[in-house]
Amino acid sequence: MGELRVENLVKTYQLKEGWNTARTLRVFDKICFAVHEGEFVSIIGPSGCGKSTLLNLAAGLDEASGGVVYVDGRKISGPGLDRGVVFQEFALMPWLTIAGNVEFGLRSKGVPAADRRSRAQRHIDLVGLSGFEAFYPYRLSGGMRQRVGIARALAIEPSVLLMDEPFGSLDAQTRETMQKTLGDIWQATRTTVLFITHDIREAIYLSDRVLVMTGRPATISLELNIDLSRPRNRHDVKFQEYEERLERAIGHTTF
Amino acid sequence: MSVAPPERHAAADPMEEVRSGGALMVASNVLTTVVPILGIMLLWELAVRLSHVPPAILPPLSNIFLAIWTMAYEGTLWRDVSATLSRLIKSAVLGMFFGTIIGVLMGYFRWWERALVAPMNFLLAIPGTALFPLSMIWFGLTDLAIISILIYEVTLTVMLNTWTGVKTVDLSLIRAGRAFGVSRFGLFWRVLIPAALPSIIAGYRQGFSRAWRILVVAEMLVSVSAGLGYRIYWAQEYFNSEIVFGSLFVVGIVGLLIERVFLRTLEVMTIERWGIMRDSG
Repeated sequence: MGELRVENLVKTYQLKEGWNTARTLRVFDKICFAVHEGEFVSIIGPSGCGKSTLLNLAAGLDEASGGVVYVDGRKISGPGLDRGVVFQEFALMPWLTIAGNVEFGLRSKGVPAADRRSRAQRHIDLVGLSGFEAFYPYRLSGGMRQRVGIARALAIEPSVLLMDEPFGSLDAQTRETMQKTLGDIWQATRTTVLFITHDIREAIYLSDRVLVMTGRPATISLELNIDLSRPRNRHDVKFQEYEERLERAIGHTTF
Repeated sequence: MSVAPPERHAAADPMEEVRSGGALMVASNVLTTVVPILGIMLLWELAVRLSHVPPAILPPLSNIFLAIWTMAYEGTLWRDVSATLSRLIKSAVLGMFFGTIIGVLMGYFRWWERALVAPMNFLLAIPGTALFPLSMIWFGLTDLAIISILIYEVTLTVMLNTWTGVKTVDLSLIRAGRAFGVSRFGLFWRVLIPAALPSIIAGYRQGFSRAWRILVVAEMLVSVSAGLGYRIYWAQEYFNSEIVFGSLFVVGIVGLLIERVFLRTLEVMTIERWGIMRDSG
């Protein structure tokens, strides 16, 4: 199992404009899409288009103004362990070791200690951090911290992995390494992924399908299947064609 | 099934240890700390012996040490130290307990915050020592008169620090906690309290040192039958300067030990190990 479905999702904010007037800001209106089992889908769009808000709604960390999110056909109400979230700002607990952080969600799940340890270890190995189990996060580099973030999210074996610009705060070189790592992990696990990014190349490199979100209120203005074999080559001619198409789709809209 | 090696190892070898200086450095550290102290002690001894300052005003250092030794030998010293410490520990533990709980509630629930910030600030403006006449009216000349004020003082200090600590917890950690299945109540134990621990422990340190200061004064005001403050006051009534000075030394040393040994260890074991210490004191 592992399907995410978003139906008629609406998000509005009330903006106060004086002592008794408020304006309603419509971030996005009636968004509909689905991420099928084992599929890697990216949402790209200019900053401020509401793509991170969309992910927060899917994670249950923010409340929708209308519409429904289904995970495996069940309507979500609030956060849940059927979804693993990877945050842009890593959000690791500084008082827990790497192992402790990866076990965090398993602890909530009530997995017994021994089982917890072995599941955590498996995912620490998966992201290539063997040997760092007893380290505290402050001793790791940014890329390594996000590996922990990914391991933590995968350890709960979620139906859907939700990633909110996970490599957005890394330097360009580390970002490319992490994209490759994530691609490899995804091929090994085939988890259903919803990936938010503003980086077009990142989206093409990783995704089966790319959704472009533009406008205010934002809508899905383009849906593009990426028909390239993996692992992908960024210098491929077809890769660059996709890049141009997506650039054109986003290009003129800035906020 | 490992996928790829990490791009860069920030901390290369887990077992790597940083050493600098070595024996020579230790020796020079000891020298620069110990030598000035010994110098001052020698100067004190010589100055008093060579001048004609009456011993009641400034006794020679050797007599002061002799007085401490006598007190230790007779057992009064241990009675005084343990009486003072037991008051300190009882009130600090209770104050830390109440202060942490109220502080966390204030940091997390807006209503608690709204209700308590103004009273807290008002009470913080009243020095704890000013409340002794009141506590003596209420509780008489008893231990309770002292301990109640200390609890009050520690609670307020810890409350303030815990409240600001919880309020400033990184929002992304709370979101991560919720995303990974922590219930509203579990959030306290699994996210808020550990995340606020640097501030909470800073509050404990501050609470302890405030309590220590007030306690010694309190033992002079509220005449109880043992305690370091009581001993200083008692010795003054008998014009026994050696014991006054001797007890003051003991106060200084015990206070220093609490700070260095107990509170620093607490810090090193927690927040310094996690690398979220702002600076080491």
